[in-house]
Amino acid sequence: MTYQSLIVLRSGPVGWLIFNRPDRANAMDATMLSELEHAWHELDEDPSVRVIVNTGNGAAFQTGLDMLQLSVDVGALREQSRRTKRSELRLTGLQNNVTKPVVAAVNGVCAGGGLHFVADADVVIAAADATFTDPHVSVGQVTAFEPIGLMAKVAVEPVMRMAFTGVHERMNAQRAYEIGMISQVVDPPENLRAEAQELSEKIARNSPAAMAATKRAIWGAIEVVGMGRR
Amino acid sequence: MKYPALECLKLERRGPVGWLINNRPDQLNAMSAQMRDEFEVAWKTLNADPEVRVIVHTGEGRAFQTGVDVTELATDGIGMERYRESLENFDLRFTSWHNDVWKPVITAVNGVCAGGGFHWVADADIVIAASDATFFDPHVSVGQVVAIEAIGLLRKMPAEAVLRMAFVGRHERLTADRVRELGMISQVVDPPDQLRVEAQKLGETIARNSPAAMAATKRALWASMEVGLKDACRLGAQELVGMWGHPDQVEGPAAFAEKREPRWAEQTSGSSRDE
Repeated sequence: MTYQSLIVLRSGPVGWLIFNRPDRANAMDATMLSELEHAWHELDEDPSVRVIVNTGNGAAFQTGLDMLQLSVDVGALREQSRRTKRSELRLTGLQNNVTKPVVAAVNGVCAGGGLHFVADADVVIAAADATFTDPHVSVGQVTAFEPIGLMAKVAVEPVMRMAFTGVHERMNAQRAYEIGMISQVVDPPENLRAEAQELSEKIARNSPAAMAATKRAIWGAIEVVGMGRR
Repeated sequence: MKYPALECLKLERRGPVGWLINNRPDQLNAMSAQMRDEFEVAWKTLNADPEVRVIVHTGEGRAFQTGVDVTELATDGIGMERYRESLENFDLRFTSWHNDVWKPVITAVNGVCAGGGFHWVADADIVIAASDATFFDPHVSVGQVVAIEAIGLLRKMPAEAVLRMAFVGRHERLTADRVRELGMISQVVDPPDQLRVEAQKLGETIARNSPAAMAATKRALWASMEVGLKDACRLGAQELVGMWGHPDQVEGPAAFAEKREPRWAEQTSGSSRDE
């Protein structure tokens, strides 16, 4: 299918899912919300794709819901609200039950709802000038899914600091690397896609079946409280 | 709001920031039975003051907190038995988490943080420290078990560092820089004498955000640590939706569009549920 708000392409064994509303800081409008579901499924079902890289075009990686556009498209907003209430979002690979390894390559600002794509990726790398911030509480919104997802994966205090400082502070790529939220800082920033491709080609050399089972096991473990041994 | 006079703690408000200060510097702020009781009063007082948007907790002198007052334990003829019932029932009242404080809490570690002092590191939302602060857990070096503080930390940071601290006891200390690397704290203040200035600044920054949204966020994030990821998100969704229609959600975007500071709805006791 052809996409308006995303770019979906293949490069060797690597499928690329690229946010493509650069003039709107890649915020998710109604079109992108529906296209995301299609794109994840298309790449997950394509046997030539072994690994999926998720990045953005332009200065931002992803800045969350485009509330302005969604408030015009009442139908889309209603559907999104219903899914939020039921905790049934379909934005990320994880939420769409993607079975392949997903690498998020954060190319710039990752704000608010953009943090979903960091929390739900298996591997995260970032350009040296990327920044992370969660502005929800600065505009009177509760933040929950994104920090909850991050807290399951990294030290809690820096996530809570991001949740409560809101728009007034940004975490840089170096700090995100120190606390293990990301595993690689790419400098100079323009090499991000080359590095993401190289990393993904390494991952693509491993057994797809073993990686799919590993992915189920590890994410399944995050669902369980306790180690099951007593 | 007039605050009660306490003997072992100091309470004050600076702008939107409420301060709770451990005040037994000669005993390295060790928690006597009296201090333990005063903590409950202190948290409830700051939580009830509508002018307080954020709470900072620190200590007087060269220690932040060094846990239960061992001298008192050894000499009062009662010892740890005094605390048996509250521990067996897990009915503690000395941290903000124990007291259901839903305002953001910043712990500002001004010096030694030892043993029971970690209760206030584990139970705060945000932790910063002076560059000369040190962290260690002497429980097993004096024949005590460490459980609750270390368990709280395990939920929040890499486990190896917590286990090492639990087993090395008083024979090793972690520096402020190392605990920042580990994500136990987010900021090291240097020179150390600027700690309170930086804590106040951070408190004022956070106080610019919607109190109702922060209270609901805090409930959602702390509840998430009790359950698995999907259940955590389901509970989180209730807090997200619970805020829909709140006046702050109109005021926030309006203030943003008009490039001015938002005027948030008054918030009492850090709760939006009762409104």
